[in-house]
Amino acid sequence: MRDVYVGGIGITTFTRLEYPLSEIAAYPAMMALKDAGIRDVDHLYVANMGSARVNHQTALASAVVDSLSLTPAGAAVIENGPASGASALKAGFAAVASGLHDVVLVSGAERMREVNNLEATDFVATLTHPLAEYIYGVTLPSHAAMFTRLYMEKYGLTERHLAMVAVKNQNNAMLNEFAHLHQPITIEGILDSPEAMTNNPYVAEPLRFFDACPVSDGGAAVILVSDDVAKTIDRPLIRLAGVGQATDTHAVHEREEPTDLLAVRRAAAQSFEMAGLRPEDVDVAELHDAFTILEIVESEEVGFFPKGEGHVALEKGETAIDGSLPINPSGGLKGKGHPVGATGVAQAHEIVTQLRGEAGDRQVDGPQVGFTCNFGGFGNNVVCLTFVREGR
Amino acid sequence: MIRDIYAYRCRKCGRLHYPFRMVCKECRQNDFFDFDLVPLPKTGKLLTFTKVYNLPAEFEVPTLGLGIVELENGLRITGQLEVDDPRIGMAVRGEVKPVRKSAYDTFYGMVFRAG
Repeated sequence: MRDVYVGGIGITTFTRLEYPLSEIAAYPAMMALKDAGIRDVDHLYVANMGSARVNHQTALASAVVDSLSLTPAGAAVIENGPASGASALKAGFAAVASGLHDVVLVSGAERMREVNNLEATDFVATLTHPLAEYIYGVTLPSHAAMFTRLYMEKYGLTERHLAMVAVKNQNNAMLNEFAHLHQPITIEGILDSPEAMTNNPYVAEPLRFFDACPVSDGGAAVILVSDDVAKTIDRPLIRLAGVGQATDTHAVHEREEPTDLLAVRRAAAQSFEMAGLRPEDVDVAELHDAFTILEIVESEEVGFFPKGEGHVALEKGETAIDGSLPINPSGGLKGKGHPVGATGVAQAHEIVTQLRGEAGDRQVDGPQVGFTCNFGGFGNNVVCLTFVREGR
Repeated sequence: MIRDIYAYRCRKCGRLHYPFRMVCKECRQNDFFDFDLVPLPKTGKLLTFTKVYNLPAEFEVPTLGLGIVELENGLRITGQLEVDDPRIGMAVRGEVKPVRKSAYDTFYGMVFRAG
């Protein structure tokens, strides 16, 4: 396999965007091309989950490749639920590593706010098991809620720990100009004060409003290039060193130990093994906190903290921007937003920004190794990436 | 018409599954549709649960109880929950009823009550 490097990156603001979906994919792609200082690409992957259902548009990659006047380059959509973004990066990685292509542009985009919140929740819920889950009204918040209840029972996690994740990530998002939520919150306002139940009502008990990510529109792009091309690009050298992916049962109730997220554990281990690194080597991570509980559990399953102790590390401030292992300095899905198809690419965007030392007010101190976990389904399809800063 | 929900027993190794899958997770040796239908037990204990407030538009109720139940034979199933004060580990009894209506169809599934 050839080494694969990040040539350029781009991102839109995550918010409600009144642009056609193809432009939401093309805009960050333009930024990434500018960032890399290149005009030609061999292949485009567009990561998207809901264009057909939500935006009444199919074959999105064909629209985007032409809008960017990159024809006749190859183009295809990668749809893999909320893990579409990192899955598209994996496809791009494979194409460059194998020698099939030298320059692959990966753009993730989603426009979910074209429909109302209930429809957006229902759209995401279509990833659940159609006969064993979806028909009952199971949604992603309800999966996360049932999982949280078990975790609380088994590991002593409380609503306070969940609120601490929300506060940390929304405060990080205050430092990110691209983040959806620019709303500072406090434990008092969402948990302790008499108004807390009004400010922060239950969405799916025991999860409250501020435990869930917002519904966002947005796009992010990353250009993956071969060693030879990377040498011609005058940007800090970041290598995509490890790619891991694992799946688990479609119906959540079929998992032997219901508090395990085995696909996260396996995808992370694979990613670290390919990179020749260990979880201890990671300096900054973006984890898929679609719900606050997930940041805590993923931080355990990928190997940063022992099982059941992620919330202890959180309490100690270890995962804050100035902590020993900053998690979600971008604000995460919770603060930055979660345009589903874009998320995995946006996580990579943040890690590359951090490794380049270009993250401004939210810059982590001198990171060399960054890690992303893009969590699809309710943990049934997970992609983890490891990035390393090299030399210059 | 009687509607029921079944478990699927692998004809090669006897492992029970719910929901249906094409190939047994245990032995992975099946030919096409190499399973026997087995009625699911209706009683079990509640493994975890939630009460959901933001429902898809088709559900014309303010809140909905959902839970995962471990049935008597050890199989687990996700279903709706009609219990006022649910607790982990409590005994529940299921019944197959309409659980979702769309413009074109009515879907039947397991609804659990205390017992």
